[in-house]
Amino acid sequence: MNGMVQVPRRTVLVCCGTGCLANNSMEIYKKLKDKAAELESGFPVIPVLKATGCNGLCERGPIIQVLPDDIFYCKVSVSDVDEIFERTILKGDVIERLLYLDASSGKRVRSFKESEFYKKQFKIALRNIGQIDPACIDDYIERGGYEALKKALFEMSPEQVISEIERSGLRGRGGAGFPTGYKWRQCSKTNDFPKYVVCNGDEGDPGAFMDRSIMEGDPHSVIEGMIIGAYAVGAEKGFIYIRDEYSLAVRNVSKAIEDAYIRGYLGRDIMGSGFSLDIEVVRGGGAFVCGESTALMASIEGRVGEPRVKYIRSTEKGLWGKPTVLNNVETWANVPVIITRGAEWFSSIGTEKSKGTKVFSLVGKVKNTGLIEVPMGMTLREIIFGIGGGIAGSGKFKAVQTGGPSGGCIPEALLDLPVDFDSLSDAGSMMGSGGMIVMDDRTCMVEVARYYLKFLSEESCGKCTPCREGIRRMLEVLEDICAGEGREEDIELLLELSETVKEASLCGLGKTAPNPVLTTIKYFKDEYLAHIKEKRCPAGVCKKLTSYRINPDLCRGCSLCAKRCPAGAISGKQGKIYEIDQGICTVCGTCREVCRFGAVEVAGRATE
Amino acid sequence: MKVIIDDKEFEAEYGEYILDVARRNGIHIPTLCHSDTVPGQGSCRLCIVEVYERGKNKVVVSCLYPITGEIKVYTNSEKIHRMRRNIIRLLAARAPGSEYIKKLKEEYGIPEETRFIVDEKEKCVLCGLCVKACEKLGSMAISTVNRGATKKVAPPFEEPPVDCIGCASCAHVCPTGAIEVRECKGKRVIWNRTFELLKCTSCGRYFITREQYEYMKNRLGIDMKELLCDRCRQKSTAEKLVSLYKKLLV
Repeated sequence: MNGMVQVPRRTVLVCCGTGCLANNSMEIYKKLKDKAAELESGFPVIPVLKATGCNGLCERGPIIQVLPDDIFYCKVSVSDVDEIFERTILKGDVIERLLYLDASSGKRVRSFKESEFYKKQFKIALRNIGQIDPACIDDYIERGGYEALKKALFEMSPEQVISEIERSGLRGRGGAGFPTGYKWRQCSKTNDFPKYVVCNGDEGDPGAFMDRSIMEGDPHSVIEGMIIGAYAVGAEKGFIYIRDEYSLAVRNVSKAIEDAYIRGYLGRDIMGSGFSLDIEVVRGGGAFVCGESTALMASIEGRVGEPRVKYIRSTEKGLWGKPTVLNNVETWANVPVIITRGAEWFSSIGTEKSKGTKVFSLVGKVKNTGLIEVPMGMTLREIIFGIGGGIAGSGKFKAVQTGGPSGGCIPEALLDLPVDFDSLSDAGSMMGSGGMIVMDDRTCMVEVARYYLKFLSEESCGKCTPCREGIRRMLEVLEDICAGEGREEDIELLLELSETVKEASLCGLGKTAPNPVLTTIKYFKDEYLAHIKEKRCPAGVCKKLTSYRINPDLCRGCSLCAKRCPAGAISGKQGKIYEIDQGICTVCGTCREVCRFGAVEVAGRATE
Repeated sequence: MKVIIDDKEFEAEYGEYILDVARRNGIHIPTLCHSDTVPGQGSCRLCIVEVYERGKNKVVVSCLYPITGEIKVYTNSEKIHRMRRNIIRLLAARAPGSEYIKKLKEEYGIPEETRFIVDEKEKCVLCGLCVKACEKLGSMAISTVNRGATKKVAPPFEEPPVDCIGCASCAHVCPTGAIEVRECKGKRVIWNRTFELLKCTSCGRYFITREQYEYMKNRLGIDMKELLCDRCRQKSTAEKLVSLYKKLLV
């Protein structure tokens, strides 16, 4: 071009997912942007700044990536901005101290792709997140976005699209793992109009943020998937149901829909294909039960969010009694990739009955908490100790809770279990939407079961008897056990109530609610017995069943526990063995936390 | 089409509910939230049965499970009996004040509750029939509020409901007698609202609230020329028919 030299660009991706935002990443982004704007023209590098969705490694946020140099900075603070700008963005130098410190090797790595956290992952649903600005449709298109839609609309019949999805083996990522292609076919066969497509973005499991990250970080992938699905089944109207607490997701999805309309990917006669589709966002009121498909539909219709019996499927009578395909956010996000790359490619990933990948939010007592995507069939051990980097702090692995409140706790003995739909349900847990909470030996499993039942008793819609009354009574029993009031026959009672709640409840919430109780009784019965018979909480969590003792053989008399004790319950002399006054002790656990010699031990209920 | 219930074969229409076929043939399945006038709740789960269909076995509610293929139904298998007992126990722990529940408890030999905390006065089992009846009649004066263990039936903001016409259909349809209706000196009190009652012009019995009368006239277009109670209206219609026949016969 008239002899002008192309000025090299340096793209700076600042993670503005919810986790990083909470750690001030927006300020970092703005400051970098201001500095780039102040840059005189004629400078040998043009910095291009992008605020991206969640990178996944939330534990080390805020995160910045610099391309094409492929430099990856963690835990960046606003005070680092000047240095990053001067050294890395303008000159391409690496700032060693900001690089990712690998948990297993103890070395700093320059590229995100070299980290243990990233290496074993396989990104399909999360393919664009962290790499694009979710508010910019061109970023999505640049990475191949809306190509699948073109292919579906102009090169494939609806029937071919359905059969492609069927052959891919894609199963619903919302939890139950229902075959997506089969669902679409059922709906397409129903000769009743209008038809609807719905995206379930009412993610509500404690500790889960997979769908949130996708909607925040790559909303177009969901929209494109829905347009393809609507074309396949013959729907002309779609709804994306997002819980209202996800304000950034609501904003980004709404913006994406607007842009898709402007570019002609939504609306009448999409790209001249003759196919039309409208999509709108519906904001959920925050009831966990509205993640259940029929309750969600009731909520869209403006009624109380209660489920109905599903003996007639939603693909026949769904929203307003019309055929409806409802899929989860992650399921929709998988669709464009399957269309682009083909069913054979997709079904080559994963296990025999669970194809493709699954996104998990890996949280709890694990070093690398964050958002990950792995091929189905990877073992829990590889996920927790490989990608997750193992247990954070000095504790030992005890259990991993998968599938949120509907899932169960899986013990150490089953760590080599491959993670897929069927293996997890065989173990008494479930895939769920993909929450994975790692627990160490300072977790009381009875208390965990109590926590989930408490959550469910509040979130049950209360329509049917077994769920509303059953969960409430099971919670009463668990509260008694945690308070030392448990009775010998309580375990039997819990098991019996579990059966009724599981089998006789109306919807999925009730049908899976006993799982946390059943799995903890199955794998950690000793703990229940210790609570009930010995009036002792082995993990030292249930306050009424815990007291702390200083083991005289281990105490070195350093006085740290006494200094830190907020209740002033510890007395002794420097160099001598310290002692806890049980009458004053509030069982807060500080002494146990601070003791460097492991001298503070957990004992049963204080007798004084 | 054919259906096998408790090892006996019966005829059924395609899409008919198990409960209807069972009842027609004298097979007793207990229910609570089922009403022929306001069907479709499926919430109390008392009427659960075991269904064997295409080699699979599942627990369903008979009031809403449509017969669309060859199925075998067990209405009182060991498993169903055990679970139904648990459901009754849970209902009894929730609403020990209800006579109907007390009877069920006796029928199933459920001992007095000693493990759970119970509220002796409570009668409501939250079956939702009252709300559904009110909705169907068009008033929508009451609704379920809250969720989970704190769910209850209430008028908006728990104030005397503005949209209520005092027809007491909610109380009539309630299987456990949980909705209180008091009548005294030409007044009816329901949901903490007082309604004026109108008399039957024939027998002089109070039988309808003014709001109900106006609702029928203005909203439903039913204009009762004479204000007659059900009994008197039947009587007067019968008398008219008799005189008509007499004329015809003469």
